[in-house]
Amino acid sequence: MADEQKPVGSEPPPPKPGETAAKPEPPQAAAKPAPPKPAAAHAAPKAPAVMAATPWESDLTGQVKDRFGEDISEFATYLGQNFLVVKPDAVIPVLEFLKLEADFDYLVDVTAVDYPSRAERFDLVYILYSFVRNERIRVKTRIPEGFRPASAVKVHLTANWLEREVFDMFGIEFDGHPDMRRILLPEEWEGYPLRKDYSILQQDEKWVKENLGIESGQ
Amino acid sequence: MPESTFLDSTELVLNMGPQHPSTHGVLRVILKLDGEKVNGTECVIGYLHRGVEKIGENRTYQQFAPYVDRMDYVAAVSNGLGYCLAVEKLLNIEAPPRAQVTRVILTELNRIASHLLWLGTHALDIGAITPVFYCFREREEILKIYENYCGARLTTHAFRIGGLQYELYDGFEEQTKAFCDMFLPKVDEYEELLTNNRIWVGRLKGVGILTGEECKEYGVTGPVLRAAGVKWDLRKAQPYSGYEQYDFEIPTGENGDTYDRYMVRMQEMRQSVRIIRQAVDKIPSGPIMGKVPKVIKPPVGEVYVSIEAPKGELGYFVVSDNSTQPYRLRVRPPSFINLQALDRMVRGGLVADVVAIVGTLDIVLGEVDR
Amino acid sequence: MGKLFRKIFLVDLFQGLWVTFRNQNPKYIYTEQYPAERPKVAERYRGAPRLNINPENGETLCIGCNLCALACPEGLIVVTTERNEKTRRKELTTFTYDTSRCMFCGLCEDACPVDALELTQDFELASYTREGAIWDRQMLEEGPKPTRYRC
Ligand code: SF4
Ligand code: SF4
Repeated sequence: MADEQKPVGSEPPPPKPGETAAKPEPPQAAAKPAPPKPAAAHAAPKAPAVMAATPWESDLTGQVKDRFGEDISEFATYLGQNFLVVKPDAVIPVLEFLKLEADFDYLVDVTAVDYPSRAERFDLVYILYSFVRNERIRVKTRIPEGFRPASAVKVHLTANWLEREVFDMFGIEFDGHPDMRRILLPEEWEGYPLRKDYSILQQDEKWVKENLGIESGQ
Repeated sequence: MPESTFLDSTELVLNMGPQHPSTHGVLRVILKLDGEKVNGTECVIGYLHRGVEKIGENRTYQQFAPYVDRMDYVAAVSNGLGYCLAVEKLLNIEAPPRAQVTRVILTELNRIASHLLWLGTHALDIGAITPVFYCFREREEILKIYENYCGARLTTHAFRIGGLQYELYDGFEEQTKAFCDMFLPKVDEYEELLTNNRIWVGRLKGVGILTGEECKEYGVTGPVLRAAGVKWDLRKAQPYSGYEQYDFEIPTGENGDTYDRYMVRMQEMRQSVRIIRQAVDKIPSGPIMGKVPKVIKPPVGEVYVSIEAPKGELGYFVVSDNSTQPYRLRVRPPSFINLQALDRMVRGGLVADVVAIVGTLDIVLGEVDR
Repeated sequence: MGKLFRKIFLVDLFQGLWVTFRNQNPKYIYTEQYPAERPKVAERYRGAPRLNINPENGETLCIGCNLCALACPEGLIVVTTERNEKTRRKELTTFTYDTSRCMFCGLCEDACPVDALELTQDFELASYTREGAIWDRQMLEEGPKPTRYRC
C-alpha cells in the first residue's frame, strides 16, 4: 500500500490549510517527515502520519455537498471504505440527513481515537450502514479536548450506550445525552483508560483499595 | 404511569443479578416493578471489563490474536476470524483459498456450538432441563474437532493473520462429515422436545417483541434482527472469506418474538450444516499461509471490518500508525449493542419474561464488558 | 379437533418423554470417569509446557535465543543465558515460565526455532501455592508430577 501515495488533499489527519487558519496547528508535518520506526505506542505518542486515502466521489457525496457545503471538509476512501470528515457542529445534521434521505438507518458504532499531540485531540467516528444500499460509510469529526459534541441519541437510539462508552473511555461528554454516566467502569473511577496518556499499568489504586480490599491497589 | 396502589407505593425496585443463574454471567438488571409488571429496567454492566481494547493497543498484531478469543468465549473462532480479516484488510492481503475454506468450516461449526449452548441454557432458564444435556453432548463433538485441529477447545486461537497455523489433521473431513450426519437428526430431536411443547410455546410466544424497525433503531443484529423479518445476514450482504460460493438460506421469522428467535436459530444450525457439507467437499489443496511479513506493520490507515458472528455483527475498527501495534483497536460487540434493546423488550412484560428475554438475546458477558 | 385431541391426550408431553426415553440406552453414556480414567487428549493439545532435551546427550535443545519470550503476549517467559568462554556459544542458564498467567495460545511454541519449547498433552497443572505455578528449568524439563489418585 505504500506505493499508493496520493497527491495533496488526500490526507485526513492534518486538516486542509485553508480552513485551519484560525486553529493552532501543531507542527506535525514539519516535525515528523516520514517517521522512521515509532517506538512502542505508549512510549511517545507521535503525531499521526499520513493515511494514503483517495478522494471519494459519488451521487451521495454530491447530495451531501449540496446540502452541507463547507461543513464537510473531506470525502475520502481508503481500501474501499468511504468516509467523510465533518465539522463538529454539523455531525448531527449530517447523521440525520443520511438517515432520513439517504437510508443510512443503522448506526453501527460510535467510537473515538485519541491523538494527544494534535490540537483537536480526538477523532470521533460514527460508522453507518444502509440496509437498502448495502453500503457502509464512516462519519468522522475532529474535536478538541473539553468540547462537548451533540449527542446522536435523538437520531439513532443505539448511540445511547455507545456514547456512554466513549465518555467512559475517553472522557468526551455528549451534550443532550439522556444519561451521561460511565458504563463499563465503576462510577467513581478516575481517569479515562483509552486515552493515550493513560498507561496500561495504571489503575485507580484508591478505588481498588477501597472497594476491593486489595492492599497493593494493583 | 402506574396507578397508585392501596399502599400508595407505586414502584418496587428489584435487583436481579449480578449473581443470578439466568443472567448468563455477571449482568445486573435493576427492575422497576409494579406488582408483577415491569415498568422499566436499567442494566449495570462492566463486572467483567478487562480492557481488551487497551490491551490491543499495547500488543503487537499477532500477540493480540489470542485475546479476542476471550471476548465471546463461546464463539472464539468467530472472533478470531473477524480480527484476522480486519488486519488482513489493513495489510491488503487475503488468506489463500485452502485457509479460507477451512476458516468457513470452523466458523460454521462454531456457530452451531454457540447456538447449542444458547439453546441449552435458554431452555434451562425456561424450565426444561433435558435439552441442556443433549446440547452439550453435541457441542462436545465440535469441541473435539477443535481440539484435534488446534489443540484447544474453547479459546482456540485457531487462525493467524494471513491464514492458518495448523494444517488439517488426518481424518478432519471424515470427522466433520460424521458430525454433520449425526447432528441433523439431533436438531429434529430438540425440536421434538421443544417446538410443540405447550409450556415452551406459552412462555415464548408473543414475549419480548422487537419489530424490524425497532431493531434497526437499536442497531440490533443477528438472529434477533432476522426473527423480526429482516432478511439480512452479512454473509450474504457483504460476503467475506468466500461465503459467496456457498448455497444457503437466511432463515427469518415474522413476529420478532422470542419464539421466532428460537426458530430462526434452529434453522440457522441446519443452514450451517449445509455450508459445512459444501465446504468439506471442496477443500482445495495449496498453502495455508499467505504472504505475511514476520513483523506485521500495516501502513497508516484505518479499516472497519465486520463479520456475522453467531450473536450478530461483530466488527473491528483498527487504526494503524505504521508501527507493530495497533494505534486504536475498537471492537463492535454484538452482545453489548443487542443488550441495549432489553429495556424496550421487557417493558410491560412480567418478571418471568425478563429471564426469557435475557436468554433469547443470547448475550455473552465477556463480550458485553470486554 | 386435532388440537383438542393433542391437548387432552398430552401428545406434546409424550412426544418429549419419548425422546428422553430413547436416550436412556446405556449405549449413550458420555460421562468421562476422569480421575479414575485419564481422558485421551488430542495429539496437538496445548497443555503443560516442556523444555525438550536432546535424548542422546541429555543436553537442552534450547539455544537461549529469547524468541519465545518476545513472542509471548503476556511476557511470562524469562530466559537468561551466559556466554561460554570455551565454545563461544550462548548457553542457557535459567528458564522461568509462569503457568499461572499463561493462556496456552501456543505463540511461544510457534516462535521457537529449534522446537525446544513445546506445549504437551499434560493438563494437570494445579498447584497448592502461587509460587508452585511458576516453573523453573528443571520442572520444565521433567514435566509436572501430579498426584495420582486411585478410585
Ligand atoms: S502459550 Fe501463549 S501465553 Fe503461554 S507462554 Fe506461550 S505465548 Fe505466552
Ligand atoms: S525460543 Fe526456543 S530456543 Fe529460543 S529461548 Fe525459547 S525455548 Fe529456547
